[in-house]
Amino acid sequence: MALDNVSFSIEQGEFVLVVGSSGSGKSTLLNMIGLLDNPTNGKIFIDGIDTTTLGDNKTSSFRNKKLGFIFQFSNLLSDLSILENVLLPRQIAGTNSTSEKDARDLLKAVGLEDQMHQRTNNISGGQAQRAAIARGLINKPSIVLADEPTGNLDSVTSKTIVQLMKSMAKKLNQTFIIVTHDRQQFGDVDRVITIKDGKAFKGDHPSEMEIYA
Amino acid sequence: MDYRLRLAKRMLFSKRGSLIGAVLAVTIGIMVIHVNFVIFQGLFDAIVRDITNYRNGDILVTDESDYINKSDLSLVNWFERIPYVDAVAPRLSSTAEMNMTKNGKRFEETRVPIVGVDPFRDIRASTVHETVTEGNYVFSRNSIVLGSIVARDLGGAQVGDSVKVLVVDRWGQDQIRRFTVSGIANSPGGQGFDYTAVVHIDSLRDMLSRTGETSSFMVKLNDPSKALEVKEFFLRSFPNDDFIAETIEESAEQQLAGFRSGIAMINIIGYFGMMSSAFAIVTIQMMLVNGKTKEIGILRAIGAKRKDILIIFILQGMIIGAIGTGVGTAAGLGYTFYAKETKMSWNNSLPLEVTYNWGKIIQTALTSFILAIIASLYPSYRATKLLPVEAMRTV
Repeated sequence: MALDNVSFSIEQGEFVLVVGSSGSGKSTLLNMIGLLDNPTNGKIFIDGIDTTTLGDNKTSSFRNKKLGFIFQFSNLLSDLSILENVLLPRQIAGTNSTSEKDARDLLKAVGLEDQMHQRTNNISGGQAQRAAIARGLINKPSIVLADEPTGNLDSVTSKTIVQLMKSMAKKLNQTFIIVTHDRQQFGDVDRVITIKDGKAFKGDHPSEMEIYA
Repeated sequence: MDYRLRLAKRMLFSKRGSLIGAVLAVTIGIMVIHVNFVIFQGLFDAIVRDITNYRNGDILVTDESDYINKSDLSLVNWFERIPYVDAVAPRLSSTAEMNMTKNGKRFEETRVPIVGVDPFRDIRASTVHETVTEGNYVFSRNSIVLGSIVARDLGGAQVGDSVKVLVVDRWGQDQIRRFTVSGIANSPGGQGFDYTAVVHIDSLRDMLSRTGETSSFMVKLNDPSKALEVKEFFLRSFPNDDFIAETIEESAEQQLAGFRSGIAMINIIGYFGMMSSAFAIVTIQMMLVNGKTKEIGILRAIGAKRKDILIIFILQGMIIGAIGTGVGTAAGLGYTFYAKETKMSWNNSLPLEVTYNWGKIIQTALTSFILAIIASLYPSYRATKLLPVEAMRTV
């Protein structure tokens, strides 16, 4: 069992880190919050909605409108330009007149205004991750989920990406749940959840940890 | 542009090898049908054309009692008053024995079909005279045109040679007459009078003791589509006679029946070819789906519904179908055009009769396009079944 009797709630605007060793279940937790995986038992509420009872179409819509994803390898579509990648969640939701302006503004905010028409296979890992952040934020989701967002980057670029996520969270008052194995990189955050042997603990110092159940 | 169409295009064009393979599969399917159609339907049409032009006309009038007693002039005049009728030619048919002495050696042929024609009417209703490659068509009562095969069997008869012809008259008596060869007939594919001898109709009537009688009338129309109408009008106008009137489809039915089933068979093979191309599309699209598993996972993760994934891959099927159908139809039309312009034939066989059958062309193109879409349904369905979290693990 990847997760066992885990229960906690996160407030709007919180910047939360989920840490733990490899195979502890932190990515499984993120996938469940992101509705990419279903719990065998238990419920997940987001904005007061029990997401475990949603059908496939509603789950997709929910993911599109309420959740933003940032993956370890950016996971941009190589067949599209950066701008098209950022626009994609909005187009899936149904384009509106401000879509392109919003995407350009976001790309400007993450420092990619000059590269927006480039194909994603022509940019660096750091730039790809910035584009992924912009894509994750385009639909103004309730929660942004990031799975090892700096795991594939060098330390300097990682630092920039962390700063960018923190500033965007503050600026947009959005909830960020970030899975990482590198706690130090993130410095001060609102909350840290440690996953160990499938159980969730509050905090990251073994002496102070309190179980979430 | 809808993002699904953009993605369908980009994903497809980024896998050029698969795209080319799928397009080629459709193109070849269509080409097989077009080539088969041009060759076999062209051959069929060429045979119909030659039977019409050389033997039966658009309407063939005969009599239940083998010979028509009515005056040929009156029947010809009756027909030629109908605006759709171009020309009418009476003919009298029998068989003959022929012999000829060439370089001191006697050559003999038995059971040679012999046709009596009215040369002035015949050249208007038929194109047999155009097959006379050496000399002239029948122009006098003692001239004979030999088919190239008959001439060969008579030891290589040439224009100017003298041929003795024996027929059995209506009373069972042998009638012998000498004719001078005025021409040799040789037609592509041997569809003309290559195995036949042609003489003046009055000469044959005399020999057969059938003055004023005729075996058949070939009626040439300026609008062949009116054949049935003219035929029925003729039969209604002579209710007390025992005339038999047949359109080319009816009179040549026996000769064409076997060919028709051949064409049907070839068309079935063509459609099987198209089905094979559909299977090729299934295989290639499955490869495309497998190659884009991660992308499908990403799309699902950011909110694309199963329906959106289905649409993307069906659109790919439509793109493959549209390009393949376009290229295949263009190539097929090009081939048809080439066959038409070059009067395509093989080893002096009859030249193909090529017509642009737009109904058939559109039907083939639509069938192929729809098949390509149907072929993309299963791979598209498989793509929708991928779980996002599993799909994204694919590297």
